[in-house]
Amino acid sequence: MRINCPICGERDHREFTYKGDATAIRPAIDSDDMDTHKAYIYRRKNSAGTHRELWNHTAGCRTHMIVTRDTITHHITSVEPVGPFADQLKEGAK
Amino acid sequence: MAKRAKMMTPDPVSPIGEAAMPRAASGDAGITLSERLPSSFVQVQAWPDTVAKAAKVIDKLAGEGVTIMATGPGRWLIESDETGLEDSLRKALKTDAAAVTGLTHARVVITASGLKVDWVLASGIALDFANMEPGDVALTAHHGIPLTIRRLPDVADRKAYDLTVFSSYARDFWGWLERAGEEVGLAVA
Repeated sequence: MRINCPICGERDHREFTYKGDATAIRPAIDSDDMDTHKAYIYRRKNSAGTHRELWNHTAGCRTHMIVTRDTITHHITSVEPVGPFADQLKEGAK
Repeated sequence: MAKRAKMMTPDPVSPIGEAAMPRAASGDAGITLSERLPSSFVQVQAWPDTVAKAAKVIDKLAGEGVTIMATGPGRWLIESDETGLEDSLRKALKTDAAAVTGLTHARVVITASGLKVDWVLASGIALDFANMEPGDVALTAHHGIPLTIRRLPDVADRKAYDLTVFSSYARDFWGWLERAGEEVGLAVA
């Protein structure tokens, strides 16, 4: 599998680190709903098909990105930078 | 074996050691290696709202003996033939503008060149070397060893690259280059 890094271009997936499900939203820090916290930490859909997930280009530019990938075919349909430089990167890509 | 051009601190020891002593290939050399200990090697990481300011300071450094490599959003690696680059960048870029990190003693540069250099490097590094132009920089890894690879201008029609590696991994990576280069003939300059 190859991932098209927004900075470095297409690279082997071994340069990247999987950082988890991008659809899992951290509950508010002051939330005392333990079930919501439990769901955020443990419950994953493990869906077969399209999945949005966080990756980091660990061996490259170290940029975080959201990769939309088909978990059956590994076909990647989009890569979006996230983090403090995301807006500049998206603006630069236009 | 390389020595720093102008020493600031009493640390002249090459992490590659005797393995980097010059020697000829047993036949034709398909790849030639040499080790260089940078006189100054600094990383600059700007914040999202200070990228332009940092870029302005770094652009002024451009010139002979200075290599500027953009390695990520708001991030540069800069090598200089002169010592003291870290101090001058710290003066020009306060912490509200950028994080300046001295890496002079943390990096070794291995120059690899020759008719078969692409073949040897591609045997262990997942990069498309055929599409790298002189001046292109790529950050990658070889079996978990982080590498910064910069293509240099060709020398006598032979491709050349600077491979920047962590000092603590340099001997191991050099060992791999030696083994991978055996089949094409390896010389050390």
